[in-house]
Amino acid sequence: MKFYVCIKQVPDVNAPLQIKDGQLIQDADRNILNAYDASAVEEALVMKEAHGGEIEVVLIGPEKAKETIRKALAMGADSGSHLLTTGDENLDSFSYAKILANFFKGKEYKFILCGKQSQDTDAGLTGTMLAELLSLPYATNAVGLEVSGENLLVKRQGDTGQELLEVPSPGLVTCSNDMNDPRIPNLKGIMQSKRKPVDTISIADLGADDTKECVKTAVLSYEEKPARQAGKKYEGEPDEIARQVAQLLDTAENVI
Amino acid sequence: MSTLLTYISVNEGKIKRSSLEVLSRCNELAVQNGFKSIALVIDADPSPVAEQLKQYGADEIYTIQNPIFKNHLNAPLLRALSTVVQQIKPSVVAFASTEGSKDILGALAANLEAASLADVSEFELTETGVKAKRPVMASKIISAVQAEGSPVVLTVRSGSYDVVEKESAATVEVIPFEFSDDQLKTTLKEIIGAAGDKIDLSEAETVIAAGRGVKDEEGRKLVDELASVLNAAIGASRALTEAGVYDPSLQIGQTGKVVSPQLYIGIGISGAIQHVAGMANSKVIVAINKDPDAPIFEIADYGIVGDLYKILPPFIEELKKVKSN
Repeated sequence: MKFYVCIKQVPDVNAPLQIKDGQLIQDADRNILNAYDASAVEEALVMKEAHGGEIEVVLIGPEKAKETIRKALAMGADSGSHLLTTGDENLDSFSYAKILANFFKGKEYKFILCGKQSQDTDAGLTGTMLAELLSLPYATNAVGLEVSGENLLVKRQGDTGQELLEVPSPGLVTCSNDMNDPRIPNLKGIMQSKRKPVDTISIADLGADDTKECVKTAVLSYEEKPARQAGKKYEGEPDEIARQVAQLLDTAENVI
Repeated sequence: MSTLLTYISVNEGKIKRSSLEVLSRCNELAVQNGFKSIALVIDADPSPVAEQLKQYGADEIYTIQNPIFKNHLNAPLLRALSTVVQQIKPSVVAFASTEGSKDILGALAANLEAASLADVSEFELTETGVKAKRPVMASKIISAVQAEGSPVVLTVRSGSYDVVEKESAATVEVIPFEFSDDQLKTTLKEIIGAAGDKIDLSEAETVIAAGRGVKDEEGRKLVDELASVLNAAIGASRALTEAGVYDPSLQIGQTGKVVSPQLYIGIGISGAIQHVAGMANSKVIVAINKDPDAPIFEIADYGIVGDLYKILPPFIEELKKVKSN
């Protein structure tokens, strides 16, 4: 089975952030493989180990993002395609999806896996946009995957319960990080990753100029979220603390 | 006349409060801009819902009825939405942010070639589209964004707007829609562990969240007891849903649900940013944790440093007293 996994390099949300003149300032050395995409790569590896097949990762990003492709290859993916940006394009979710759709045109595959969202913007749009552009059946927010003949059995986390869906191939699935714990590449994996093929294609060659017209959303500025003030800390005798806090929640806050 | 279309999420015949929040916002924008506000119900049995909706101020109510909508499935829902949007050509199509709407937002936008904004906390109309705010970077940062064109499709975080009740003389229009099972490519095999009659976490006024500090059956019992005294919904940190201690649908945070209750009580929760991303908009935050340096205390209004097994029994008793007075 051939799997494509769409991956993205994102800023680590745990790293320190700064806002200057409405712009977000981040340390580019703290960029990582999006956690949701890492779960998608892991799940593809598990399926490959059980059933054979091939895994190619696809990434849209600037030159520096190649390190994230190497990371996925070190985890065990077989090859990569780097859809190269200059970094100045201001692409939105829809233009990402258009570029990916152009990349996938004419390609043969059983399934495309994506992370369900990227952990910096949490938008979660690109996966289902891509499915629609390629007219693929899809499932989102997968927390479990199983191969069933030519199809995938997808356990999807819904609002109240979980749904077990059967998605035929070719299809697309977006993955939650609740699905697995992505493996950490070992030394052998890292050494092997250097010899694995990575194809670089400029997004201009994938119709990126046409996608400029597709950019319909833009970030105007960033601002710090108004910080919450720490309230009062209570330490000491449990009975006394319990009495005080229960009283205050009732009389001062009126939330009981 | 331009219109604003609100999709009404329904769970077991009941309207989700978060949808009414979105409808209330669209009603307000419609009045300000001289637009029409339309509420849309897509369900196996939409009529009772359409009746309930007359309390919430929409100018018109549209329904689509088909047995296929008994359970959530993206393909027929997409088809139905696309049919309605092409018919009434709204300026905005607004949804409450749920796993159901997240499942179709991108695909609907691509289908309509429309701009889309996910999970906004505020939005307003501009001459040419929509301006909105949305939390990013695990909700540490707010981004101001704009979307151009018509329609703009968007989802709104629960708790972003108040529900305003307003009786309306809206008529109910039924939109014809055909869909048969054999048009389905993806099939639903089974629904596992639906929560049933439990209090909906994302809509609850009071939320009790259990974290790693809740180690055993005794801890769970204390959490249950506290929740029952306060008539609260129970949520959990990722550590506990991953460990299988609580149902995965109860996860609060960046990966799970966003809650914005009047009262949030974190029990043995340290306050990792991925969790805080899902609860920082709670009105009053109470945290119980034995580590005085736990990050949750930086945002807690009432930070109780201590062993939850020692704090909760008297706390539950005191709350019972307060409740009975």
